[in-house]
Amino acid sequence: MSKDFEPRIVVFACNWCSYAALDLAGTSRMKYPPNFLVIRVMCSGRVDPQFILEAFRRGADGVLVAGCHPGDCHYIEGNIKALRRMTLLKRVLEEFGIEKERFRLEWISASEAEKFVRVANEMLEKIKPLGPLKVEEVHMHG
Amino acid sequence: MDKPKIAFYWCASCGGCEEATVDLAEKILDVVNLVDIVFWPVAMDYKVEDVEKLPDGSITASFINGGVRLSEHEEMVKLLRRKSKLVIAYGACSSWGGIPGLANLYSREEILRYVYHEAPTVENPQKIQPQLRIKAEEGITLELPEFLPRLLPLDLVVDVDYYVPGCPPTPEVTWKAIETLLSGNLPAKGSVLGALDKSLCYDCPLNETKPEKVLIKEIKRPHEVIADPTKCLLIQGLVCLGPVTRGGCGALCIKAAMPCTGCFGPLDEVIDYGGKAISYFASIVDYSDEQEIEKTLGKILDPMGIFYRYSLPASRLRGKITIAER
Amino acid sequence: MNEEPRIGVYICHCGVNIAGSVNIKEVVEYAKNLPNVIEARDYIFMCSAPGQEIIKEGIKKCNLNRVVVAACSPTMHEHTFRNVLAEAGINPYLLEMVNIREQCSWVHSDNKEAATTKAKLLIRMAVAKASLLEPLKEITFKVNKNVLVIGGGVAGLSAARDLAAKGFKVYLIERKPVIGGNTARLGRLAHAEIKGIDLVGELSRQVLSSPNIHIYVDTELANVDGSVGDFKIKLVKNPRYVNEKCNLCGECVKVCPVDVPNEYEFGVSSRKAIYLPFREAYPPIYVVDSENCTRCFECVKVCPMNAINLAEKTEEIELTVGAIIIAAGHEPYEPPIGEFGYGVSSRVITLFQLERMLDEAGPTKGELKLDGREPKNIVFITCVGSLNTTPNAYPYCSRMCCSSTIKNALMIREKYPEANIYILHRDIRTYSRGDEQLYLKAGESLIRFARYREAPNVIVNPDGSINVRFFEETIQEEVFLPADLVVLSVGMKPPKDIDKVRTIVKVGCGPEGFLREAHLKLRPVEAATDGVYLAGTVTGPKNVIESIESGSAAASKASTLLTKEEVRVEPLIAVVDEERCSGCSICIGVCPYGAIRLKTQEKARVAEVDPALCKGCGACAASCPTGAMQQFGFKDAQLKSQVLAALTK
Repeated sequence: MSKDFEPRIVVFACNWCSYAALDLAGTSRMKYPPNFLVIRVMCSGRVDPQFILEAFRRGADGVLVAGCHPGDCHYIEGNIKALRRMTLLKRVLEEFGIEKERFRLEWISASEAEKFVRVANEMLEKIKPLGPLKVEEVHMHG
Repeated sequence: MDKPKIAFYWCASCGGCEEATVDLAEKILDVVNLVDIVFWPVAMDYKVEDVEKLPDGSITASFINGGVRLSEHEEMVKLLRRKSKLVIAYGACSSWGGIPGLANLYSREEILRYVYHEAPTVENPQKIQPQLRIKAEEGITLELPEFLPRLLPLDLVVDVDYYVPGCPPTPEVTWKAIETLLSGNLPAKGSVLGALDKSLCYDCPLNETKPEKVLIKEIKRPHEVIADPTKCLLIQGLVCLGPVTRGGCGALCIKAAMPCTGCFGPLDEVIDYGGKAISYFASIVDYSDEQEIEKTLGKILDPMGIFYRYSLPASRLRGKITIAER
Repeated sequence: MNEEPRIGVYICHCGVNIAGSVNIKEVVEYAKNLPNVIEARDYIFMCSAPGQEIIKEGIKKCNLNRVVVAACSPTMHEHTFRNVLAEAGINPYLLEMVNIREQCSWVHSDNKEAATTKAKLLIRMAVAKASLLEPLKEITFKVNKNVLVIGGGVAGLSAARDLAAKGFKVYLIERKPVIGGNTARLGRLAHAEIKGIDLVGELSRQVLSSPNIHIYVDTELANVDGSVGDFKIKLVKNPRYVNEKCNLCGECVKVCPVDVPNEYEFGVSSRKAIYLPFREAYPPIYVVDSENCTRCFECVKVCPMNAINLAEKTEEIELTVGAIIIAAGHEPYEPPIGEFGYGVSSRVITLFQLERMLDEAGPTKGELKLDGREPKNIVFITCVGSLNTTPNAYPYCSRMCCSSTIKNALMIREKYPEANIYILHRDIRTYSRGDEQLYLKAGESLIRFARYREAPNVIVNPDGSINVRFFEETIQEEVFLPADLVVLSVGMKPPKDIDKVRTIVKVGCGPEGFLREAHLKLRPVEAATDGVYLAGTVTGPKNVIESIESGSAAASKASTLLTKEEVRVEPLIAVVDEERCSGCSICIGVCPYGAIRLKTQEKARVAEVDPALCKGCGACAASCPTGAMQQFGFKDAQLKSQVLAALTK
């Protein structure tokens, strides 16, 4: 794989835990790779598998969904709804041929900036050897 | 004034859509009275040259069923597109790939290897496999259409004006679509004809039997239960895709106590039918514990076959992404 | 809004906080070329007054209808910039913030090029979303000035007292026939020279003297509708079978043929099916335990006041309140039969049973006698039910058991100077004021402390004698103690049926079942559901002092809501496109707040969101099978636009 390959990874982070953890990583002046682009949602329960499929379709090399730990959800059980959906989605992604290293669901509490940094480094480390995700458009118009 | 000219064509399909056309019963006579059928390989003896001779744009509407899997399909649909004012993707296969589209989980080589060599019922000691070109004994070269790397829904090959959903479309849907087309009052390009803009639940006689909260503890496969035909099948644990599928079929399967498998496809706002189906269905699995969730959803043995049964080639990822493109 | 988006992008340097790592000039130039961007400007501190002026000026001069501010985290200044938009005359929800400080410049200060590239991408994503933003209307509700307090223990009583003192009308409900909760059953409290019953008595007197407090005993919560500022409450009052004509003469008790263990004495004594829970009970009215009553009607015949009516029915009560305080308390951990010999030998008792026995007003008049003899060897085992000591135990520390154990051990020492007293502990946590002195005093009083790791083995011998065997961690030796009495210092567990209350009020809980605060540190007495407050041990183990404190704290927090005329709620809630909704009702089961209902409209059923109940999690939108349900500010199209913008090469 090319050494210049810089994966682009989309993160869906819940407002109350994981987004706050990312902020904490900043206020604590931690360092993590710049490959992660965060889309803020109020709750991981808002994350629709369609968005993840869309992200991979558009060339995301990885997707991370981050929510509060079970029992800690600001909306009681939104994270559990995410868990249910992602459990099923993972199986489908595998059949689509998307390596399991490219998609993760993680519980990251507001205080776990370090966990985010660890997960980010791990993801990057595992995705880089896989190379870019190629989903080509296949139409035959014209 | 000339009657409008209509063409029918089939690509990778089972023939059910052709049957569905005939299922119009006596109404087919009305259709024949109202239009001139200029091409219909399954029923009438016209040749490709006959179509080629027609002026471009002279066919009012071509109804094409089946997905595009062979170079022959590609050639024919491009020809019909050129000759037609309107191209209508007729049926699930043409609209989103349909059941033959599930083959997009495998490469063409894997498919041919399995079908001609590995399937348990195959006896092929000479390892014969279709070739694109073969020299026959008389010195004649025979050509076969190419088996394309993937199956594509019609709209990824040519511009499609309208869609008629269903596997196959019911006579009612077909008739409504024909009426709409003949009315001259054409809806916006890309519209689905003959069906509803709401999901099957809207039309389902069992919708009112749902409890306030639709949550399920156990998933059952259709052969494991004798479903109560008077109660919502979803709450009986059957994976019913009615909520996520366009209505208009008349809830035929439901009336036979079989859950909806999704042949009328998604509604307009849906980005990816299977993704949306997963999102909705997993959401109502009423467990909080990771292991319970996994165990319960594990009951779905073939998520691809359940949630992308008719729409894999039209999904965001089209099929297994590692399959080489041509 | 059909007008073409006209976006202004405002990029903050935050001094050097952002500008030190991100090439602002480059980012401004980049932003200018993004679709729909009319103007892009930067300033040293965008949140300062001159910075805000730049935005207002841009809005007016360039006729902007959307604003993107690239600065710090939205949790810092989203509110500030929304106000700027409002002041400039455009809807405050047409703002999108880009977090290029916490999530960019600060974490990538080691790589300025990468930080600059990322800032550009984040701005591109925000601009894409901003193009699709819609103006939203804030939701306001009138605040009802009444409060419901669930639970009549010390936390609930102190919350009720404080709120009533502030002039609010308080409805206090208690499931049991008597107020006072667990504290009423305690003996002498540590340090205070006051008994639990007296403390409860004092609190009750304060509560009863207030005309603003209405107490409903025998009453349970049946349903809650509505939301912050306007909750519609349904209560069920279970029959007591004895009315306020009761003069406590006790004639009924004399004729009642039933004998059952008295739960108010932790089963140390028995009571009749008609009984008064304890002497100072409020309300001072006998109660019939319908589960055990044989309906012999003897009590009815002898009652001189005609106060007993065994045909009494449950009664429904409806209330409207602005706030709810849940102070539903806890239950003591009850060891299963056989755990540490409990239930196998009458010489193994719980700390609470000991408390009743040591109470001079209790069933044994303060005498600690077993088979008529004073116990010589007394072994306390702490952390029973806590700190994972046994497979049934909870993982947490119950906070009050160490001090309570030592207090009781000292009381025994006072009464029986010759007894051998051992406290087997996992750890001693005497953290509360004065408790450490108690611990030292216990040591001086020759109460012996020994530390175990593996749960001690309580052996009940065939002759009824007891031995306790355990491995002592300090001396690293197996120890074998004969015991006449084993006292199990049991911890706390969530109260029975708390799940029912929690589901009705819609409050989350932790893994053990205690209710969950909105934020453990920042909002410790508030539930995540607006207008709901938590007090006492319902959120986890607390001692009496802490429970009373949290009751007052919850009252104070509730009063900040109740003193307002109106509450405002962010409108980032769910919204249904009725044209597309098919009435499948999937969203209803997914909503954690019961905010969605079906309504019939033109013969079709469609979902309807109650803006007062929706908290804006978006779970319904994600699970809506047709895309009819969306969330304002986080619509499918808006989120998808961010995905696309993030990934365009």
